[in-house]
Order: sequence, then structure tokens, then C-alpha cells
Amino acid sequence: MMRGEGTLSRALIWTITCLGLAVIYAPPLYLLGVSFNPALQPALPHVADVTLKWYLALAGEKQLIAALEQSLLIAAATAFAATLLSLMAALAYVELHARRAAWFLTVLLPMFVPGVIQGLALSAVFQRAGVKAGLLTVIGGHLLWALPFAFIVILTSFGVVRRSYLMAAADLGANRWQQFRDVTLPLIRPGLVSAFIFSFLLSLNEFTRAFYLAGRQNTLPVVLFGKMNSGASPTIYAMSGAIFLLSVFCVGLVLANVLLKRRQPA
Amino acid sequence: MNRRLPPAFALMALPLLAILVLGFLPLMVVVVWSVWTWDPLTYWIRPDFNLGSYAAILEAGRWMVIVSTLGKALLTALICLLIGWPTAYAVHFLAGRRLSLILLALMTVPFFTSYLIRSFSWRLVLGRTGVVNDLLIHLGLLSAPLDWLLFSNFAVLVGLVASCLPFATFPLLLSMRRVDPVLLVAAEDLGAGFWTRLSTIVVPLTMPGIFAGFLFVFVMVVGSSTEVQMLGGAGASIVSVMINDVMRVANYPLAFAISSVVLLVIFSVVLAGNARFGLARLFGEGQS
Repeated sequence: MMRGEGTLSRALIWTITCLGLAVIYAPPLYLLGVSFNPALQPALPHVADVTLKWYLALAGEKQLIAALEQSLLIAAATAFAATLLSLMAALAYVELHARRAAWFLTVLLPMFVPGVIQGLALSAVFQRAGVKAGLLTVIGGHLLWALPFAFIVILTSFGVVRRSYLMAAADLGANRWQQFRDVTLPLIRPGLVSAFIFSFLLSLNEFTRAFYLAGRQNTLPVVLFGKMNSGASPTIYAMSGAIFLLSVFCVGLVLANVLLKRRQPA
Repeated sequence: MNRRLPPAFALMALPLLAILVLGFLPLMVVVVWSVWTWDPLTYWIRPDFNLGSYAAILEAGRWMVIVSTLGKALLTALICLLIGWPTAYAVHFLAGRRLSLILLALMTVPFFTSYLIRSFSWRLVLGRTGVVNDLLIHLGLLSAPLDWLLFSNFAVLVGLVASCLPFATFPLLLSMRRVDPVLLVAAEDLGAGFWTRLSTIVVPLTMPGIFAGFLFVFVMVVGSSTEVQMLGGAGASIVSVMINDVMRVANYPLAFAISSVVLLVIFSVVLAGNARFGLARLFGEGQS
């Protein structure tokens, strides 16, 4: 298929691809570079000047640390709930036949509700119901945000579960629970792990919903947002850099996991 | 172990409950409270039917914010498609196996990094002493830094494109996978050039992906606030920021009236698109 392709057209397509990647990656990578700069003014450090002092200074930022703890707790709870619920939703999707498109859309729709509206409306509901703003309310908001993503990830992993495997298991006398436990579950395990980590990161980085749903103890993005707007400081760069690195690392882990699993002969 | 897997409706119960309580119920509240009465003296709301909030959307240039938000969404979606389509094409048709995996990974990462941090980092790039201005001055192309790069509609647009691009690229990539390569080889054998093959085969066959990508970006921008708050100029607004502002005086009815209008637009676009292209088909790959 490669023969005779217009070289110019291909060059154009590659240029646009690189432009897109640059737009996505250049700014955060620059920020990451700046976070290793000893000076107060934002600039890339010289190789000899690279320093971790702003990262070490993070340990002294009590407010940030408290917010980080809160965010990690919320993210873990969100990831657990989102993975469990979207596994159920995906199993239901596979079982359903005629109505599966409607079910798919039902699970996906929350993704399309703007964060501000979702957060504000949910906080109004919680207020009326007498639920105090705090950990649980943020988890509720984040669960709905992460659910569609986790659902799609798990659903994609169901692609390797052939109907013939389940039929073979059924012929050998496995009931549906045993089919699930011994055939489906091992096959979709990479999908479950991915869904968990992705939900975790979605929650960790979510800001607009948490803004309305967090009580007095703010989550990390909420605190960061306040600090970013009240004058940038190198510790903000360091905190941003640390979160960015952590996120990239986690996604890399998931992708490596999925790709390695795929390469093993089935 | 003689337990049985529960049937579909039992499996649906818990996720459905979460979606109804956390998603649907709040939206009902949005619609209902939008026709309640707000008392500016006490900042309190009463359950008396009142369409005043919808009338208030027409005041103080609020409808202009809604229109300009839709304009931004449209523009961002188009730019994202113009960048995302060639990217998806490159990943699927031009790159070798290893490179396409690397590119795929690079496109997955941004979904799960903080959009707050990604928006914020543009300040360092576009500011008066930022990278772009420094570079242009260094090259002698400018004598003084450009002011309109940051805290402007330009900066907001750039930030929005950067945030939303992965949402366009991904569905495009999924739809590229459904293009049978045999068709392209056949077309080439029959003498069709590169651009002819693109315009008569690949573009029509990736229409579902093009639409889904457009839809995702459009909806993301309509609901965005961070980019405007981080990169917009003084007085810059977008629907979500306007809702924030209205809520400073706890004017729930007006905030929810605006929300209702926005949700109506979003859901019409999503449902119309779904009826036309079937979003489930795009993602339900490998499902029998």
C-alpha cells in the first residue's frame, strides 16, 4: 500500500501529526523543565543547574499535602466503585441483545453533562437531602464522571472473550457464575486493571465537580487552581510537574500491561 | 460453588441506580428549579412557578455568551478534526507497527493528565516573557513581545484545542480501523491517486468517526471553564464561567435556566448524532 504514495502528501500528514502532538505535549513538558530550575523566574534550567529543591519544598506545603491525601483517598474509592459498577454494566451489555444500544447510551450520557452543571446540581441534591459536603459527595460526583470511561475500557477488553469459549465451558458443565469466574474474568483482567487506574487518574485530576462538591477540605486540583490564580510560584510548577509525571507513569504502566498481555499467545 | 451469575437486569441494577441518583435526579432538579422564583433580597429560592430566569438569559448579554460558547465549540471542533484526522490516518495507515503503538500511547496519556495543569502550562508558553515571545524576539522577528498571545480569545482557542484534541483523534482512529485496506489497494490499482483515495474512500468510510469526534469536542468545549479561567482575557466568558458567576449570589433558578438551555443543545446534538451514526457501533468493536 505504500508504493507510489505522494511523498509530499505524506510529509504534510506527518507534519500535522507532529503539530498535534506538540500542541498537547510541549507546554506541560516545558512546565516540567521549568520546575527543575533553581531561579524564581520561569525558564528552562541549564543542565548544570538542574535542582530538585522545589520538589523538596513541597513537603513543607501543609495545605497541598492535606489536599493530596484527600484526593488520593477519593480517587481510590472512586476507582474501586467505578470499576465494579462498570464491570456489571459491561456484563449486562453483553447479556443484552435488542436493548444494548440503549443501555450503552444510558451509561455514556453522564459523560456529556458539563462538569459545572453536574457538580452544581448534585451539590443542590445533596444539600436538600441533608448530606454534608465532603469525601462522599465528591466520590459520588467523580463516580459518575469515571463510569463511562471505565465502561468503555472494560467493554473493549470483552473483545477477546469469544462466545465459543463460554459455550465450551457450558458444555463441560460450568454454570454461568463458573463461566464468568474461570473464563471471562481472567480474560478481561487487563481491562479491569486499566479501568481502575484510569478512573483513579480521572478522579485525581478532576476539578470542576470537586469545586462544588468538596466541603471545607478541598481536593488537590481545587487548591492548585486557587494557587495558580493567586500568582504562580515554583512550588506550583513542582506540584504540577509531580502530578503530570505520576499520571504519565500510571498510563504507561497500563499500556505496557495491556500490550504485553496481548503479545502472549492466547 | 453453585452460585449463578444474575441475569442482565440484576447486573444493571447497581450501575443504573448510580446513574439515576447521581446523574438523572440532579438533572431533574436543574429543570425544576429553573422555573422557580429567586428572591434577590434574601438570596433564597421559592418553589413558585416563574419563567423570569429564562427571560433573564436574554438580559445583560447572557445570550451572547451562549452564542459565543457555541461558536467556540464549533471552531474548536473543526480545528481538532483538521489536526486529528490526518493524525489518525498517519497512525493507522502510514506508521509501522511499533511507531503506531507509540503514537497510540502518546494519544492515550492526555486523557488522564490534569487539564488544569495542561491549561496552566500554556501561560508559561504564551505569556509576555513566555517561550513564543522570547523565540520571536530572539530571531529578530519582533522588537516587543506580543500582548495578544495570552489572556485573549486566541489563547483560549489554543488551550481548548490542546485539551480536546485527543477526544477527536480517538473516535477517528476507531473508525479508520473499519476501513478495509483492500479497497485502497483496489483503488490504487485502478489508478486513483492519493487524494482521490482519501476523498472518495477513506473520508466517507470514516464519517461516523468524524461525527463522533466532532460531537465529543463540541460537548467538551460547551462544558469547559478551565481554559477561559486560565487563559482568557478580562471579562472573557463561557457558559460554565457564567454559571459560576451567577452562583455567587446563589441564584439557582438563573444558573439552572442557563444549564437547561445548554443541556438541551448538548443532548439534541448527541441524540441526533447517535440516531444517525450509532455511537455504540464505533466502540462496540469485536462484539458479536
